[in-house]
Amino acid sequence: MSAVIQAEKLCKWYGNILGVSDINLEIQPGIKGLLGPNGAGKSTFLKLAAGQLKPSIGWVRIFGEKTFANHRIYSRIGFCPEHDSFYPDMTGWQFIFFMARLHGAASPRRAGEMTEKALATVGLTDKKDFLIKTYSFGMRQRLRLSSSLVHEPELLFLDEPLRGIDPLWRIKIIRLIKEYEKAGKTIIVSSHVLSEIEAMTSDIILIHQGRVFAQGNIHYIRGLIDAHPHQISIRSNRPRQLAEKLVRLENVLSVELDEATATLIIKTNQRDQLFDFLTRFLAENDIEVDEITSPDDNLQAVFDYLIGR
Amino acid sequence: MNEKKTAWALLTTFFRFGWKNKRSRIFLLFSLIPVLLLLLVKIMQTARPASFTSAADLFSNIMLIFYFQLLIPVLALFFGSSVINDEIDNKTLVYLTVRPVPRWLVFTGKYVAYLLVMGLITFLGLVLSFLIANFDLLASAESWRQLLTYLAAALLAITAYSGLFALLASFMRKSILIGLFFVFGWESIVQYFPGTTQKFTIIHFVKSLLPYAPQKSGFLIFQLEPSPVFSSVLVLMLFSLITLIAAAIVFQKKEYILSDSN
Repeated sequence: MSAVIQAEKLCKWYGNILGVSDINLEIQPGIKGLLGPNGAGKSTFLKLAAGQLKPSIGWVRIFGEKTFANHRIYSRIGFCPEHDSFYPDMTGWQFIFFMARLHGAASPRRAGEMTEKALATVGLTDKKDFLIKTYSFGMRQRLRLSSSLVHEPELLFLDEPLRGIDPLWRIKIIRLIKEYEKAGKTIIVSSHVLSEIEAMTSDIILIHQGRVFAQGNIHYIRGLIDAHPHQISIRSNRPRQLAEKLVRLENVLSVELDEATATLIIKTNQRDQLFDFLTRFLAENDIEVDEITSPDDNLQAVFDYLIGR
Repeated sequence: MNEKKTAWALLTTFFRFGWKNKRSRIFLLFSLIPVLLLLLVKIMQTARPASFTSAADLFSNIMLIFYFQLLIPVLALFFGSSVINDEIDNKTLVYLTVRPVPRWLVFTGKYVAYLLVMGLITFLGLVLSFLIANFDLLASAESWRQLLTYLAAALLAITAYSGLFALLASFMRKSILIGLFFVFGWESIVQYFPGTTQKFTIIHFVKSLLPYAPQKSGFLIFQLEPSPVFSSVLVLMLFSLITLIAAAIVFQKKEYILSDSN
């Protein structure tokens, strides 16, 4: 199967600030998750791939063609940007109709049909005649998605498409993306939330500090995460008793007690097993827990672990 | 891809939204100030004919000072710059540049739409002013010929100024400041310099087209030394064409970075 996207030695600098560096990859048809913390370089990569930015070094090709300012490829590409930007004095319908016309719809009637279909796909038919400036953030996000779908492209770039979307529409959009894949299309979706990407695909690219850190199956990253120590913070009414028990466990690497806040900071390399144990132990010994948090659940902390900080 | 259809889509959409936006409404109201002034003068002149300068004379002065030296350059500055600047500032550029339309066509379509909006705003005030000022002379063919000359000069001035400001906006972010300096500094001062120096302004060639020569007396020593009409038209047309082609080329090739890239 030929690659839809190819990048070689791709670098982008904004003056002295690194956007992405030395990216070499080939992306095959299907859903590809672009995962990384905020500022990792996901949006820069998507903009480079979608021809919105010019590479500083190296190149990126889509369907074998260079992308920057190459308007010929855009009949095959849809791009949903991260920016919450619109023409506020247009209605949702006028905006999508305008986009459909720019895609060379054969007639105004055909552009109208394309518009109705795209708006229905994201559930905005009943709000189509409202000015965009009256839309909620979630509705504007769905409208952005609709603008990228209106011409039913073969390749779709979605930059944080679930940001600000309510839970019901989150499920619907994830389903929509999967249906797109089943139709033989390629979707590149970025997010800084692991669970969002996991819900759509198991095929991921990890980006951190502008570099591709790892790529492949999501279970691989899960394995990497599990192999590294995790922190768990527990605030309870009997922290000393809990600490005494925990230090004896094999999967606990260290336990620190903050007396002032009655909080334990536990480091473990087998998080799931430790949680199983904690659930049993707390129940059996009637220990009250005010709060259990895992500071490592954010992606930045996971990446910090993986790069050995 | 049918480029005529997409060009038409760009033109009609941006004309509609350019015409409806707040900036256009403000400029439209501004352009009607001379109309009210002339109406007032006309009424007073009718009541006491000997006491006032004739409305027709006032019309030619208003044309020069208000429309050609103030409204048109400022209108062209804001609309010409906004062809590109608005898309960058509002981060809407991406919606236009991920469509199968060459960038130069996006620029040209939007520029022509804004040119029509600027033309409408200017022509409306200009024609109304003419009708009021020349109410008694409407039967004269010469009056109508003069109106056509004013309209043609206004169109050439709008095109030349807006072409220049669109070009500035295509490669610099703070083009409005440079434009303000150009309009109120360079154009206002250099047009009064003697000899060929005044030909380094747009207003020199625009004034050379106007039917009424400026008054010879005044506090400034140097006055307009008009260029021939044909060469003035040619210079303005060539200047507009070159700046617009240059702006389209820059827009086609330049990378515009919308902030918040990560």
